[in-house]
Amino acid sequence: MRRFTILAAAMALAVAAASAQSATAIAEKPAILTAVGQSADMEMVKVLLNRSKVPFTADPLVKAASLPGGAKTLVLTVGGSSKGLGAAGISVDDEMARSKALIKRAKELGMKIIVVHVGGEARRGTLSDAFIEACVPAGDLVIVVEDGDKDGLFERLAAPSGIAVVKVPKITAAGAPLAAAFK
Amino acid sequence: MKKVIIASLLIAVTAVVVTSQNPVNLYGRAAQGAKGVVAAAKPEASQVGVDILKKGGNAVDAAVATAFALGVLEPNASGVGGGGFMVIKLVNMKEAVVIDFRESAPAASTPDMFKYGEDGKVIGNASVVGGLASGVPGEVAGLLYALDNYGSKKIKRDKIIAPAIEWAERGIPVTVNLASIIQDNLGKINTFPADAAIYTKDGLPYELGDTIKNPDYAATLKAIAKGGADAIYKGEMAEKIAKAVRDAGGIMTAQDLASYQVKVRKPITGTYRGYSLISTPPASSGGTIIVEILNILENFDLATYGDGTPETDHLWIEALRLAFADRGKYMADADFVKVPLAGLTSKDYAKTLAAKISMDKAMGSASADDPTKYESGSTTSFAVMDKAGNMVAVTKSINYFFGSGVVVPGTGIIMNNHMDDFALKPGHVQSIEPGKRPLSSMSPTLVLDPDGKPFMAVGSPGATRIIEAVAQTISNVVDHGMTIQQAIMAPRLFAMASGAVQLEGRTSVNTVKKLEALGHTVNVRADWDAYFGGVHAVVYDRAAKMLEGGADPRRDGQAVGF
Repeated sequence: MRRFTILAAAMALAVAAASAQSATAIAEKPAILTAVGQSADMEMVKVLLNRSKVPFTADPLVKAASLPGGAKTLVLTVGGSSKGLGAAGISVDDEMARSKALIKRAKELGMKIIVVHVGGEARRGTLSDAFIEACVPAGDLVIVVEDGDKDGLFERLAAPSGIAVVKVPKITAAGAPLAAAFK
Repeated sequence: MKKVIIASLLIAVTAVVVTSQNPVNLYGRAAQGAKGVVAAAKPEASQVGVDILKKGGNAVDAAVATAFALGVLEPNASGVGGGGFMVIKLVNMKEAVVIDFRESAPAASTPDMFKYGEDGKVIGNASVVGGLASGVPGEVAGLLYALDNYGSKKIKRDKIIAPAIEWAERGIPVTVNLASIIQDNLGKINTFPADAAIYTKDGLPYELGDTIKNPDYAATLKAIAKGGADAIYKGEMAEKIAKAVRDAGGIMTAQDLASYQVKVRKPITGTYRGYSLISTPPASSGGTIIVEILNILENFDLATYGDGTPETDHLWIEALRLAFADRGKYMADADFVKVPLAGLTSKDYAKTLAAKISMDKAMGSASADDPTKYESGSTTSFAVMDKAGNMVAVTKSINYFFGSGVVVPGTGIIMNNHMDDFALKPGHVQSIEPGKRPLSSMSPTLVLDPDGKPFMAVGSPGATRIIEAVAQTISNVVDHGMTIQQAIMAPRLFAMASGAVQLEGRTSVNTVKKLEALGHTVNVRADWDAYFGGVHAVVYDRAAKMLEGGADPRRDGQAVGF
């Protein structure tokens, strides 16, 4: 029984270690940060970027026409919030259109795109998943708190294009791969 | 070494299991007890109340201890910087009383103190975030007034507050619910360094499994335990509170705190199918509108229609529309404005409103009627009942989760943002005036059975949804024969005078389709949505001589009995 426990736990750790691999430096500074789906999760990514000493500007409603605005990397905090959309006075359709146009413009400009999901399981569901599905396939790197990818959605969306998905166990752990992603 | 590794691995595996569990946790929320039951928004808070009952305290002692504990255990929802209402009916009291400890507007307040931008919004969100959003808090004055005047006197104030102090020092567990609330409000919390210092880890949110300690709040509670309400409303602490509010853009003075008065009010009363309702009068709209809604519904046979059916839900929507239209026009602080309470709670008036409801077509929106001709009169809620038949229901709040965001440095006190509950422009019954109390929806309610015996203590957080949540819970028990836990868990709906109907996700597809066919515009929300409040209630089953507590899985509710 003890052997089995040790074996099972060791396997769990190995999986965790593999999924928590660090990101390679792909992005240039400075960055522009936005909230795809208008959740409050952008506040957490702001703190992570500040801690990582990555220069950035944050604009939850930035539009494609405003890119690059001096930025070389686009950081998308993805996750839908009905309350956030309501407070911002923007519909789901308009937010989706803004996000797609933003991604398209960033690609045209050769900007790297980092997709970050820190809201965990609570920031999943029909609304959030629509934004996740729009963003992840366009990313150059995806960082996700693993509680938010229990069903493997992020990995499934990233796999066809070989996009790196870095899973971290907690929000605080998202800072390291985010910092490592910047040259 | 091997043991350490095994232990570490097991902890890791356990953590995975914990994070994988269903956060709704539908099982085990209810509790029974022959001697006493407390149903509150945190299991630890309910236990605090029950422990006081076990020590010989009465329901008010238990309620006050639970209230102080909730200020620590559910800091996002209520605390020393907020206010609320308590309804008390002890067996030796002929009439119930309502302790109104709602915040009041500072003396320097004016009807146009909030300025609007060209976008039609309050500039800087100042009615919600920052010092200007805070009314003069009433919680400590109200709770201690209740303890001094209605407590058993068997348990001293310091013993009542001691469990709250212990939790503040020991630290509170971060649940899925609390973690989510902190994440959602991180921007506001990080705006105020004293707030961020307590509720974040260097700017990032606490996560599931973490513990949040609040030694400053423990020290504040110790000062209250020692000095009573004066510890907050006079002297150094009052100066600190006023300064913190002013430093954050507010206008509160130490004199405002010194002038704060608890109001002891006669409750709003009504009946529903023979059961007596006892609830909050203005400055809350809750009791009045609950009575009005149930008076309207009394004209229909909900029991025959059945719970959750299109007919029943349609009637609820229309009754809500009619009552909320009146709420918007008439309800305000009755100390400042004449409110037609008797008309609004009149059975005859309700009949005229009920006649406006068609079973074949949605009214879409409602306008206020004229009750005067019938004239002749981020919150928490918990309920306590004991074997003697003493009943207490309390709803208290700092308004939005984490209130105004302003934390008084060195005290752990989060200041409320209840100024946002006023009409923020001049010329309305609900406009701001110095000393006036903003209109509330808080509805702690007591229900007596048709024999006039103690039956139910009930209340809910949830802003305007409080009113529907409390009324529907009462109806679910009275009309549909549900247990209190079933009544709490049943899918809820909400509608105001106009706009889309909000339906909880578990509403049957057939009902949704038929409501749409009647002309209702519906918005189906999550299956278990905290938007619809968090009802906590205790019911007395006289036949079984057993108290039954029910608690809400939409938040962290848990009843405890003994």
